[in-house]
Amino acid sequence: MPSAPRYLPVVRGAIGPLAAAVGWDESDCRAITLALDEAIANIIRHAYHNRDDGLIEVECRETPDGLEITMLDTGEAPDRTKICARAIACDQPGGLGTHIIKDVMDTVSYQATPAGNRFVATKRLRKTI
Amino acid sequence: MKISVRDAGETKIVEVEGDVDLGTSPDLRRTLFDALLHAPKLALNLAAIRYIDSSGIATLIEVLKDSQRRNKEFVLFGLSPAVRQVFHLTHVIRIFQVFQTEEEALGSA
Repeated sequence: MPSAPRYLPVVRGAIGPLAAAVGWDESDCRAITLALDEAIANIIRHAYHNRDDGLIEVECRETPDGLEITMLDTGEAPDRTKICARAIACDQPGGLGTHIIKDVMDTVSYQATPAGNRFVATKRLRKTI
Repeated sequence: MKISVRDAGETKIVEVEGDVDLGTSPDLRRTLFDALLHAPKLALNLAAIRYIDSSGIATLIEVLKDSQRRNKEFVLFGLSPAVRQVFHLTHVIRIFQVFQTEEEALGSA
Protein backbone atom coordinates (compact mmCIF):
# COMPACT_ATOMS: atom_id res chain seq x y z
CA MET A 1 0.00 0.00 0.00
CA PRO A 2 1.14 3.59 -0.54
CA SER A 3 2.16 5.44 2.62
CA ALA A 4 -0.99 7.57 2.56
CA PRO A 5 -3.57 7.60 5.38
CA ARG A 6 -6.44 7.34 2.89
CA TYR A 7 -5.51 3.68 2.36
CA LEU A 8 -5.81 2.81 6.05
CA PRO A 9 -9.54 1.97 5.75
CA VAL A 10 -8.71 -0.49 2.96
CA VAL A 11 -6.35 -2.43 5.21
CA ARG A 12 -8.76 -2.23 8.15
CA GLY A 13 -11.46 -3.64 5.89
CA ALA A 14 -9.30 -6.67 5.13
CA ILE A 15 -7.73 -7.57 8.47
CA GLY A 16 -10.96 -7.70 10.48
CA PRO A 17 -12.61 -10.41 8.34
CA LEU A 18 -9.30 -12.33 8.22
CA ALA A 19 -9.04 -12.33 12.02
CA ALA A 20 -12.66 -13.48 12.22
CA ALA A 21 -11.93 -16.31 9.76
CA VAL A 22 -8.99 -17.42 11.90
CA GLY A 23 -11.32 -17.62 14.88
CA TRP A 24 -11.24 -14.49 17.00
CA ASP A 25 -14.41 -12.90 18.35
CA GLU A 26 -15.66 -9.45 17.40
CA SER A 27 -13.83 -7.67 20.21
CA ASP A 28 -10.48 -9.33 19.41
CA CYS A 29 -10.97 -8.65 15.69
CA ARG A 30 -11.41 -4.95 16.47
CA ALA A 31 -8.30 -4.98 18.64
CA ILE A 32 -6.19 -6.73 15.97
CA THR A 33 -7.47 -4.29 13.34
CA LEU A 34 -6.51 -1.39 15.60
CA ALA A 35 -3.03 -2.81 16.23
CA LEU A 36 -2.34 -3.21 12.50
CA ASP A 37 -3.70 0.28 11.78
CA GLU A 38 -1.44 1.73 14.48
CA ALA A 39 1.62 -0.06 13.13
CA ILE A 40 0.99 1.28 9.63
CA ALA A 41 0.32 4.76 11.00
CA ASN A 42 3.66 4.62 12.82
CA ILE A 43 5.43 3.79 9.55
CA ILE A 44 3.66 6.64 7.74
CA ARG A 45 4.54 9.12 10.47
CA HIS A 46 8.00 8.03 11.57
CA ALA A 47 9.58 6.15 8.64
CA TYR A 48 8.11 8.24 5.83
CA HIS A 49 7.54 11.45 7.83
CA ASN A 50 4.00 11.72 6.45
CA ARG A 51 5.18 11.53 2.82
CA ASP A 52 2.61 9.67 0.73
CA ASP A 53 4.97 8.41 -1.98
CA GLY A 54 6.46 5.59 0.07
CA LEU A 55 5.48 1.96 -0.13
CA ILE A 56 4.49 -0.37 2.69
CA GLU A 57 4.30 -4.09 2.07
CA VAL A 58 1.76 -5.68 4.37
CA GLU A 59 1.41 -9.42 4.74
CA CYS A 60 -1.12 -10.97 7.09
CA ARG A 61 -0.78 -14.71 7.30
CA GLU A 62 -2.64 -17.38 9.20
CA THR A 63 -0.20 -19.57 11.10
CA PRO A 64 -0.80 -22.90 12.85
CA ASP A 65 -1.37 -21.09 16.14
CA GLY A 66 -2.84 -17.77 15.03
CA LEU A 67 -1.86 -14.79 12.93
CA GLU A 68 1.41 -13.24 11.79
CA ILE A 69 1.59 -9.70 10.44
CA THR A 70 4.72 -8.68 8.55
CA MET A 71 5.38 -5.21 7.18
CA LEU A 72 8.30 -3.89 5.19
CA ASP A 73 9.06 -0.26 4.40
CA THR A 74 12.01 1.60 2.93
CA GLY A 75 11.66 4.75 4.98
CA GLU A 76 13.92 5.97 7.74
CA ALA A 77 14.96 3.21 10.09
CA PRO A 78 13.28 3.43 13.48
CA ASP A 79 15.35 4.63 16.41
CA ARG A 80 15.00 1.72 18.79
CA THR A 81 15.56 3.96 21.78
CA LYS A 82 12.46 5.93 20.79
CA ILE A 83 10.17 2.95 20.18
CA CYS A 84 8.51 2.89 23.53
CA ALA A 85 4.99 2.58 24.72
CA ARG A 86 3.75 5.41 26.89
CA ALA A 87 3.19 4.77 30.56
CA ILE A 88 -0.35 3.65 31.03
CA ALA A 89 -2.95 5.71 32.85
CA CYS A 90 -1.36 9.08 32.18
CA ASP A 91 -2.75 12.00 30.24
CA GLN A 92 0.03 12.47 27.70
CA PRO A 93 -1.05 11.92 24.08
CA GLY A 94 2.22 10.46 22.71
CA GLY A 95 3.08 6.77 22.43
CA LEU A 96 -0.49 5.50 22.51
CA GLY A 97 -0.15 3.57 19.24
CA THR A 98 2.92 1.63 20.33
CA HIS A 99 1.23 0.84 23.62
CA ILE A 100 -1.81 -0.54 21.76
CA ILE A 101 0.32 -2.71 19.46
CA LYS A 102 2.22 -4.23 22.37
CA ASP A 103 -0.94 -4.69 24.41
CA VAL A 104 -2.90 -6.43 21.65
CA MET A 105 -0.24 -8.55 19.98
CA ASP A 106 1.71 -11.35 21.70
CA THR A 107 5.08 -10.63 20.06
CA VAL A 108 6.36 -7.53 18.28
CA SER A 109 9.76 -7.11 16.65
CA TYR A 110 11.50 -4.48 14.55
CA GLN A 111 14.48 -5.31 12.36
CA ALA A 112 16.60 -3.35 9.90
CA THR A 113 17.24 -5.53 6.84
CA PRO A 114 18.90 -4.89 3.46
CA ALA A 115 15.39 -4.76 1.97
CA GLY A 116 14.16 -2.19 4.49
CA ASN A 117 12.60 -1.93 7.91
CA ARG A 118 10.83 -5.12 8.86
CA PHE A 119 8.07 -5.23 11.45
CA VAL A 120 6.69 -8.56 12.59
CA ALA A 121 3.88 -9.08 15.07
CA THR A 122 2.14 -12.28 16.02
CA LYS A 123 -0.95 -13.18 17.96
CA ARG A 124 -1.86 -16.62 19.18
CA LEU A 125 -5.41 -17.88 19.03
CA ARG A 126 -6.22 -19.33 22.41
CA LYS A 127 -8.59 -22.16 21.69
CA THR A 128 -11.16 -23.04 24.31
CA ILE A 129 -11.81 -26.74 24.85
CA MET B 1 -15.68 11.36 8.44
CA LYS B 2 -18.39 14.00 8.84
CA ILE B 3 -18.36 16.64 11.56
CA SER B 4 -21.09 19.07 12.54
CA VAL B 5 -21.39 21.59 15.35
CA ARG B 6 -24.56 22.89 16.99
CA ASP B 7 -25.46 24.95 20.02
CA ALA B 8 -27.40 23.78 23.05
CA GLY B 9 -27.60 26.76 25.35
CA GLU B 10 -24.05 27.75 26.19
CA THR B 11 -22.69 24.36 25.13
CA LYS B 12 -21.24 23.54 21.74
CA ILE B 13 -22.12 20.00 20.71
CA VAL B 14 -19.85 18.39 18.14
CA GLU B 15 -21.19 15.38 16.24
CA VAL B 16 -18.77 13.06 14.46
CA GLU B 17 -19.69 10.31 12.05
CA GLY B 18 -17.43 7.72 10.43
CA ASP B 19 -13.78 6.82 11.02
CA VAL B 20 -11.32 8.90 13.05
CA ASP B 21 -7.80 7.89 12.05
CA LEU B 22 -4.44 9.36 11.07
CA GLY B 23 -5.99 10.88 7.96
CA THR B 24 -9.09 12.41 9.53
CA SER B 25 -8.10 13.30 13.09
CA PRO B 26 -6.54 16.66 12.06
CA ASP B 27 -10.00 17.83 10.89
CA LEU B 28 -11.54 16.75 14.17
CA ARG B 29 -8.76 18.52 16.07
CA ARG B 30 -9.35 21.80 14.20
CA THR B 31 -13.10 21.65 14.76
CA LEU B 32 -12.83 20.87 18.48
CA PHE B 33 -10.23 23.55 19.19
CA ASP B 34 -12.27 26.12 17.26
CA ALA B 35 -15.51 25.19 19.03
CA LEU B 36 -13.79 25.36 22.40
CA LEU B 37 -12.88 28.99 21.74
CA HIS B 38 -16.53 29.93 21.37
CA ALA B 39 -18.23 28.24 24.31
CA PRO B 40 -17.60 27.54 27.98
CA LYS B 41 -18.50 23.90 27.47
CA LEU B 42 -17.89 21.42 24.67
CA ALA B 43 -19.69 18.08 24.37
CA LEU B 44 -18.54 15.49 21.82
CA ASN B 45 -21.03 12.92 20.56
CA LEU B 46 -19.15 9.71 19.68
CA ALA B 47 -22.23 7.57 18.95
CA ALA B 48 -21.79 7.57 15.18
CA ILE B 49 -18.05 6.89 15.19
CA ARG B 50 -17.34 3.48 13.67
CA TYR B 51 -13.62 3.54 14.36
CA ILE B 52 -11.14 5.62 16.32
CA ASP B 53 -7.40 5.11 16.56
CA SER B 54 -4.72 6.51 18.86
CA SER B 55 -4.41 9.72 16.84
CA GLY B 56 -8.08 10.36 17.59
CA ILE B 57 -7.62 9.57 21.27
CA ALA B 58 -4.53 11.81 21.37
CA THR B 59 -6.60 14.61 19.83
CA LEU B 60 -9.21 14.26 22.58
CA ILE B 61 -6.48 14.36 25.24
CA GLU B 62 -5.09 17.56 23.70
CA VAL B 63 -8.53 19.18 23.67
CA LEU B 64 -9.18 18.10 27.25
CA LYS B 65 -5.91 19.62 28.45
CA ASP B 66 -6.61 22.84 26.55
CA SER B 67 -10.10 23.03 28.05
CA GLN B 68 -8.62 22.66 31.52
CA ARG B 69 -6.10 25.44 30.84
CA ARG B 70 -8.98 27.70 29.76
CA ASN B 71 -11.20 26.72 32.72
CA LYS B 72 -13.71 25.24 30.32
CA GLU B 73 -15.45 21.89 30.25
CA PHE B 74 -15.01 19.09 27.69
CA VAL B 75 -17.26 16.04 28.00
CA LEU B 76 -17.90 12.94 25.90
CA PHE B 77 -21.11 11.00 25.37
CA GLY B 78 -22.56 8.16 23.30
CA LEU B 79 -19.53 5.86 23.30
CA SER B 80 -20.21 2.68 21.32
CA PRO B 81 -18.64 -0.60 22.50
CA ALA B 82 -16.02 -0.29 19.75
CA VAL B 83 -15.00 3.21 20.82
CA ARG B 84 -15.11 2.31 24.50
CA GLN B 85 -12.73 -0.61 23.79
CA VAL B 86 -10.12 1.78 22.35
CA PHE B 87 -10.44 4.05 25.39
CA HIS B 88 -9.84 1.08 27.65
CA LEU B 89 -6.90 -0.19 25.57
CA THR B 90 -5.25 3.20 25.92
CA HIS B 91 -6.14 3.46 29.62
CA VAL B 92 -7.35 7.04 29.28
CA ILE B 93 -11.05 6.61 29.97
CA ARG B 94 -10.57 7.76 33.57
CA ILE B 95 -9.35 11.24 32.60
CA PHE B 96 -12.52 12.09 30.67
CA GLN B 97 -16.03 12.89 31.84
CA VAL B 98 -18.08 10.30 29.95
CA PHE B 99 -21.88 10.19 29.76
CA GLN B 100 -24.37 7.87 28.14
CA THR B 101 -26.68 10.48 26.66
CA GLU B 102 -26.64 14.06 25.45
CA GLU B 103 -29.09 15.00 28.18
CA GLU B 104 -26.75 13.67 30.87
CA ALA B 105 -23.74 15.35 29.23
CA LEU B 106 -25.51 18.72 29.13
CA GLY B 107 -26.53 18.43 32.73
CA SER B 108 -23.04 17.66 33.98
CA ALA B 109 -21.93 21.21 34.80
